[in-house]
Amino acid sequence: MDVLAQLIESGIALGMIYALIAFGYQLTFATSNTLNFGQGEALMLGALVGLTLVGHMSYWLMLPLVLVFGAFQGVVVERIGVLPTLKTKSEFGWIMTTISLAIIFKNVAENIWGHDDLTFPSPLPQEPLVFFGVRVLPMEIMIVLGALAIMLAVEIFNRKSIYGKAVVATANDRDAAGLMGINTGLVITFSYALSSMTAAFAGVLIAPLTLTGATMGAVLGLKAFSVAIIGGLNSGMGVIVGGLILGIAETTTGYYISTGYKDVPGLLLLLLVLTIKPAGMFGKSVIKKV
Amino acid sequence: MLRINNLHAAYGKVEVLHGISVEVPQGKVVTLIGSNGAGKTTTMRAISGMIKPVSGSISLNGKDITGMSSSKIARAGLAHSPEGRRVFATLSVTDNLLLGAFPRLTFGRERGDVPGDLVRVFDLFPRLKERETQLAGTLSGGEQQMLAMGRALMLNPAVLLLDEPSMGLAPLLVAEVFRIIRELKARGITMLLVEQFAAAALEVADYGYVMENGRISVHGPAGQLKNDPAVREAYLGAAH
Amino acid sequence: MSLFKNIAAIVAIAVAASLPTMWSNPYYIHLMVVIGIYAILLLGLDIVVGYVGEVSLGHAALFGIGSYTAGVLGHSLGVPFLLTIPASIVVTAIFGAILALPALRVNGPYLAMVTLAFGTIIQILINEMDFLTNGPLGITIRKPIYFGHHISSADYYYIVLAALVMTLFVVQRILKSHLGRAFEALHDSPIASDCMGVSVYGYKVYAFVLSAGIAGLAGGLFTYSEEYISPNTYNFELTILFLLAVIMGGRKTRIGPILGAIIIVMLPNVLSDIDLFRKIAVGIAAVTVAYSIYVIATKQRSFKQMALPLLATIALAVSGFYIQDITGQRLTIFGLMILFVVYYLPNGIMGFLRGILLRIRPQWMHRHEVILEHGDKQHVWSVPDHPVTARGNLLEARNIVMQFGGLKALNEVNLEVKKGTVHGLIGPNGSGKSTMMNVLTGIYKPTSGEIEFNGKHITGATPSSIAGEGIARTFQNVQLFGEMTAIENVLVGLHHTYRHSLLDVVFHTPRCRREKLAARVRAASLLQFVGLVDLASEEARNLPYGKQRLLEIARALALNPSLLLLDEPAAGLTAPDIKELIGMINKIRGHGITVILIEHHMDVVMSICDTVTVLDFGQKIAEGTPAQVQSDDKVIEAYLGGTAAA
Repeated sequence: MDVLAQLIESGIALGMIYALIAFGYQLTFATSNTLNFGQGEALMLGALVGLTLVGHMSYWLMLPLVLVFGAFQGVVVERIGVLPTLKTKSEFGWIMTTISLAIIFKNVAENIWGHDDLTFPSPLPQEPLVFFGVRVLPMEIMIVLGALAIMLAVEIFNRKSIYGKAVVATANDRDAAGLMGINTGLVITFSYALSSMTAAFAGVLIAPLTLTGATMGAVLGLKAFSVAIIGGLNSGMGVIVGGLILGIAETTTGYYISTGYKDVPGLLLLLLVLTIKPAGMFGKSVIKKV
Repeated sequence: MLRINNLHAAYGKVEVLHGISVEVPQGKVVTLIGSNGAGKTTTMRAISGMIKPVSGSISLNGKDITGMSSSKIARAGLAHSPEGRRVFATLSVTDNLLLGAFPRLTFGRERGDVPGDLVRVFDLFPRLKERETQLAGTLSGGEQQMLAMGRALMLNPAVLLLDEPSMGLAPLLVAEVFRIIRELKARGITMLLVEQFAAAALEVADYGYVMENGRISVHGPAGQLKNDPAVREAYLGAAH
Repeated sequence: MSLFKNIAAIVAIAVAASLPTMWSNPYYIHLMVVIGIYAILLLGLDIVVGYVGEVSLGHAALFGIGSYTAGVLGHSLGVPFLLTIPASIVVTAIFGAILALPALRVNGPYLAMVTLAFGTIIQILINEMDFLTNGPLGITIRKPIYFGHHISSADYYYIVLAALVMTLFVVQRILKSHLGRAFEALHDSPIASDCMGVSVYGYKVYAFVLSAGIAGLAGGLFTYSEEYISPNTYNFELTILFLLAVIMGGRKTRIGPILGAIIIVMLPNVLSDIDLFRKIAVGIAAVTVAYSIYVIATKQRSFKQMALPLLATIALAVSGFYIQDITGQRLTIFGLMILFVVYYLPNGIMGFLRGILLRIRPQWMHRHEVILEHGDKQHVWSVPDHPVTARGNLLEARNIVMQFGGLKALNEVNLEVKKGTVHGLIGPNGSGKSTMMNVLTGIYKPTSGEIEFNGKHITGATPSSIAGEGIARTFQNVQLFGEMTAIENVLVGLHHTYRHSLLDVVFHTPRCRREKLAARVRAASLLQFVGLVDLASEEARNLPYGKQRLLEIARALALNPSLLLLDEPAAGLTAPDIKELIGMINKIRGHGITVILIEHHMDVVMSICDTVTVLDFGQKIAEGTPAQVQSDDKVIEAYLGGTAAA
């Protein structure tokens, strides 16, 4: 029983990271029906830039700088990879361009930070706290709180500020939003900035708990795909539940079956959800007007 | 106020507007009538920048707005209440209305009295006031139409385009929509109106244009068009 | 042209067959074998990427499954080469189906996302399942021995060449058949495809499974070519290379994949030789500069448009002289190449060459097969697939409610359509007529209510199965397959008359030829019926609006419907055309086809409808003969609501 509780606890921390990346997919999918296949690389760059900065300053001072860097990286992806492809109906263009930017980022990161995995110094004590026999790392608590905080911040922004409402309006109906004087192109760029920013943030959150390196992003970005589909690409809260389900499924599979198979339940869940409820567990299937 | 000169527009390769010239003078209501597929909605979409015109020119208040993006055209003072209403379904009624005033609220430059305008729109559409916190997607068709019109008014526009405001509405609501259009006219708002109910549209308008297959076939003062036998035959007596 | 193509193909095969005699170096022969194997895979990938328009990021994994199927069967069980290869095809196709069936249910980037996840996980699984795959150590397997002769690398080259030629042949046959036409149709207009009985979902899955099977063949061949396989080969980088090859070579061509295969196999060699790389980079920069000067001088593009590629290629050439180790920059170079191709060479090298050829010699280029069969009056009509069994009412829709959010577009509407009649559906704009059409044809699932057609319940059925039951339609905003010719559009409608199998397609059996001929004669006859026979070879998007509407009628009739729904057929027609349309609808009814007609031209409605139903704000307000409806007070009010209110 203790073991299971422990597994669930680590699954929650992992799941929140997935949820945070998947949340980034939702942000851009809502405004432009596109998403960044290099989201994992945005996370990786955030973590590595954070690692370099942390050599010169404290973790807390580094955080805002990484967020700014993440936003800038998102703008680059949108301007080079997404904007020119939006005019065509086909998905082929933006999928290919975001993937090619992803492999370029990965390659550049390898050339700057090397091929080896690095350790990211933890800003919080590494002694686990024990609650009812479950060992919890302070960093894990920070992951959960940090992820919830940024999602909440975006939600409040969308509901309360006129700019946030403009983002929601663009997601609802891009043409009609344009008629309101909203520069929808700018909204899409902004959503990419926000999306990469959350990924970079996820990167510096998870980095102290895992190894940091050029290859760390790919698998995380991929898991977040599963989470986004399981939860629903258009359902805000779905990603949290989806993330938790996947995180816990992985830690328990890893323990009870074999660590080698821990990635399998994600794919199976993904295929299962698509079979039973293609819009995702919490997604609303939209009736398209013809 | 709004001047459209020899406008050509196309969807893909198929040209659907073959040289439209329309003029909407300050403070007047001009209506565009014609059968389905004649190109009325396309004309509206080309004016507000939803599609790029192939050639021709559009000017607002003497300023050339041809080929500008719809957001820039809105900022220049043209509001468009589009066909099919297109309200923001997941936002509340109030938020929809505030977004109508988006250019007046952003960059810290509040131009004019937005809260006051909100009150005035609610006065004009009391039904919306009752539902101010409700999500727009849950409104009935008539209420959504009111919202779309109210939202366009929130821009405080120099020219208001209304595309088929009566579409899909019950007769009582159609009457209500026309009452509001008359009210707006009394307030001196310049309007370009596309309507399927040609008779009612000519009743409220000062001037009318009849469209046929992407061209203007007849135009003239509304009273004159109403009595034009050809127009009567084609558009006014549909069910007779 | 076709003769020229055949000769060119034979010459190309002869040249390919003689290559090992020119380059007998085993290294070169091995490269050519790999090129051949990749080309096979790419021909299959192009079906998904080029024709169906979906992105697969799992083809390296499918390739791996093919390899390991052959490897495991051959190594552990000693299954012979001639059996392992078919097994590779079948097993990989099954995996393809497992992926495609769920992933293609929804529109959007789902297939790309699912296949990407699949690709990573397959690689992990191959590593982990060492009881089967021998894990990271890999599997060693020798080339087969036949008649006491150990197949050599040079022999194997001929086996691969034969497999490539066969794949080329099979893929060509499939893509030129009704199956290929279905793939193109669903990409062009998914809604129209579904409503013509060509299930978008079904054919996308079909295309993906086909493509997976071909990837399996390539994988199986690869195992015996390398004689050693290990999990690391089938990684994400290989997937990227495959996609780069398809788009760079040129989508929707047969030569493109071969060209692409050559490029991606040679690329690592170019990248390992820094001198060669520098020369090529400088060459590319020079070409780009020259091309830019040309297009800017001729004002085809502005300097702003050309600035980025200019800068990028010059930067590439300059950086070539600073970098010592080019292999480390491999991924960046692949990435830049993809960006370049997507933005500046969207149709690939073959598309680019074709574009040039089109400018110089347009008469050489037939983008579409010329169809010479003539139609006649006997072949316009055919026996419906589902003969009408219902008595009295052919269609009964009961209490249909269609709700969008808070909007009730249809509110408790009942509709009964008598067999053999023309039933008019009229009402002001936005009254729910088109919504009704979409509910009847399965595009919308009604919120509540039920529909019975020909004695069968069809509520909630998919558009393609409803089309299969015998309901055909036209669209208010024309939905033709724009890039296909008029006659090809009609042939999509005749898709249901092709009963022959994939094997018939491949072997061009008499049955296949017979059905193909019959369909063409029928299509030509239908075009004649609607008066478009002179425009048969014209691309649909180039037809005038009115003709497009007539073409939609011909395409709908091709379905052999017992019920035809016409959504504003007279819109955009001139007065004499409308007269002809009325005659046409009368003839259609005369042949026992029931018609539902939405129309705003009252003269059309009044002159041909037997019954008219009037909708207003989602409710039925009147029904009866045209005369009855015309004098109904409610109807007059609905149409002139504004005046009545004023």
